[in-house]
Amino acid sequence: MKLNLNNSAVPTRENRLGSITGYVGDLNDLVDQSRNGTLKNRERCFSQSSGCLSGCAIGMVAAIRDVAVIYHAPSGCTLYTTILGDQLATRINTSYDTHLVGTDMNESDTVFGALDSVRDIVYKVKKQYNPKAIFIASSCVTGVIGEDIDSVVEELDEEFDIPVIAIHCEGFKSRIWASGFDIGDHAVLQHLVKPPVEKRNVINFKNFFESERPQITELFAKLGVTPQFLYANSTVEELSHLSESLATVCICGTLGTYLGNGLEELYGVPYVRTINPMGMAGFDAWFREIGRIIGKEPEVEALLQEERDKYLPEIERLKPELEGLTAVIGMGPGYTYEVARVLQELGIKVVWAAAWHYDYKYDNNEVPPALDYLQNTSPNNIELSVADQQNFEIMNILKQYNPDLYFSRHPGSTVWAIKHGISAVYVADEYMIFGYKGTLNFIRNILDTVRNRSFETNLAKRTKTPYTDWWYDQENHIMMV
Amino acid sequence: MAKKLRQVAIYGKGGIGKSTTTQNLTAGLAELNKNIMVVGCDPKADSTRLLLGGLHQKTVLDTVRDNRQNVTLDHLVKTGFAGIRCVESGGPEPGVGCAGRGIITSIDMLENLGAYTEDLDYVFYDVLGDVVCGGFAMPIREGKAKEIYIVASGEMMSLYAANNISRGVAKYAAKGEVRLGGIICNSRNVDRELDLLRAFAKALGTHLVYYVPRDNIVQRAEINRKTVIEYRPNSGQAAEYRALAKAIEENDQYVIPTPISQDDLEQLLMDYGMMELADEFDI
Repeated sequence: MKLNLNNSAVPTRENRLGSITGYVGDLNDLVDQSRNGTLKNRERCFSQSSGCLSGCAIGMVAAIRDVAVIYHAPSGCTLYTTILGDQLATRINTSYDTHLVGTDMNESDTVFGALDSVRDIVYKVKKQYNPKAIFIASSCVTGVIGEDIDSVVEELDEEFDIPVIAIHCEGFKSRIWASGFDIGDHAVLQHLVKPPVEKRNVINFKNFFESERPQITELFAKLGVTPQFLYANSTVEELSHLSESLATVCICGTLGTYLGNGLEELYGVPYVRTINPMGMAGFDAWFREIGRIIGKEPEVEALLQEERDKYLPEIERLKPELEGLTAVIGMGPGYTYEVARVLQELGIKVVWAAAWHYDYKYDNNEVPPALDYLQNTSPNNIELSVADQQNFEIMNILKQYNPDLYFSRHPGSTVWAIKHGISAVYVADEYMIFGYKGTLNFIRNILDTVRNRSFETNLAKRTKTPYTDWWYDQENHIMMV
Repeated sequence: MAKKLRQVAIYGKGGIGKSTTTQNLTAGLAELNKNIMVVGCDPKADSTRLLLGGLHQKTVLDTVRDNRQNVTLDHLVKTGFAGIRCVESGGPEPGVGCAGRGIITSIDMLENLGAYTEDLDYVFYDVLGDVVCGGFAMPIREGKAKEIYIVASGEMMSLYAANNISRGVAKYAAKGEVRLGGIICNSRNVDRELDLLRAFAKALGTHLVYYVPRDNIVQRAEINRKTVIEYRPNSGQAAEYRALAKAIEENDQYVIPTPISQDDLEQLLMDYGMMELADEFDI
């Protein structure tokens, strides 16, 4: 990619990566079409739900420790935005003093613009909370009225001794909420990361909820490196050094593409582009690539062997119980293909995989590694769709295939599967299947789920679903034009 | 029996003379003993200057901006020439905020305050330029203005804008009561202007309501902050505006316009504007 740091706005995934939200076909077709550039989005004439990218964008930067985010938006938008930093700070016993402040745009602000009040709020926030950086985020309303946030940012950035940064996250810009990840990364790359002074034994590690922070810290210590977790509870000072790290890794290809590729392009920090560390093959490939980049291959092999010795016997003992189970997957574009890979590694047959969106290339112009790997290793072609949380399509698919299990990274969607009598596993935590240890826990989780199906059976008996028989008789993609 | 209120919106290309025409026209109607309110829908807030003898000092949106409580109509409605009630919507500074949303806010507020009283015969909305966004289409939506007049001249861009405005009217006419009442020509002394405007109106399925000739007395009246009818009641131009008022009062042709294609519009201009061209090239 060619990163444009002169512009405060980032092109959307649709424009930058040709990402789509509507597709039906199969694995081979999707990969082939991605490679030869013929993949086209299919619009829907009916859409049940969608997400807003501003939540992702603000979620990124508001996770940084001790900053302030001023969301220039009506109060409803601000209400929708959640911050997890506080909970994660408690977990690692640190303080977190970041504040999200909404400007509560009203009718008058919409007609006349409200940059003066934004300026006042910035002064007040600066005085009251003394943040290490201030982000000013735009919204749909400010986008429609053309509110010139950049001018205020420029003026205050010059005046203050801390960075003041614009976040252009008008929700209507993109159907793909993951575009918000890129907006957050862009702000960090543009304003917080400084050119390197000296290399440090640090690996940038972008993730979501950090549940395996202690384990990863321990594993990385064996390689003599420290993980710099992003962005939850990272500091502005720490972010300024991202260019000095040995490498960048990310738990999810969708989450990390902009930052990883950006740091590589701007400062030569290698971005680890393997399948992700879920499952056994992923863990091996991911760690081996890290080892190669930092020149610690023997240490990595030792580490992998240690993990295998610890967990593989039990994995092998339980694996046969999973043999022959069938599954439908509904997840983000990164996890859909990674989890499909892991399920197949465990002997589970994936009968349908639905991704919330699809990036046919990442910011290095290559087909996502997970998809490439899946095509090369999958025992059979997998039926696929791209359905941005279109629950009605998922329910149709579940009804048609009646799988043993539904795996989803959307809690609402798992509930609906259960109402249809189908056991569901909510793959919420990004480390749920991390490495050998995670794989073992995952197997146990699946076995717990399939061994006792009385809840699903009984709930389905007593539930009337909102979809008519007509809908279940249709092909799941008939609303795509 | 309650009188039937006629709500009229005047559209047209920027600078074509909508405000001047509206104010002179309403002055003419006032002389026919009609009760009239003029609502200026332009952020510049200068649509009632000639009726009030100066700029309206308090716009509807000023009160919104100041977040003033207990606003009454007295704050917003000023009475001008011949008892014409004048309101200015106002709006943001150029380049800031959303003037379109301002129009919506402002008209809603006027309605809530009960500005549309039963004794009114006419409400005129004088709307900024082309229909630039949903906000400026507000007067023709939701049953506000039901009669639309487009001010145009024989100049191409003016006809282009008029055709575009017709598109907006046709769109809302399909699902409501709004109709195009006709075209008012504010002459720019273009060749064969009257014929061109008649043909243009016909192409849109409407008619030329009136042809207002060009006269510098209009400019002199404007400098004096007056309508021509007030400034020189006995002038020929005052008589023209009275005749325009009469034409509006007596108008009974309301249509759903049939906007034409860009090619057809250009052909129309060729047919009417190029007649003398050959002669001009004689050396």
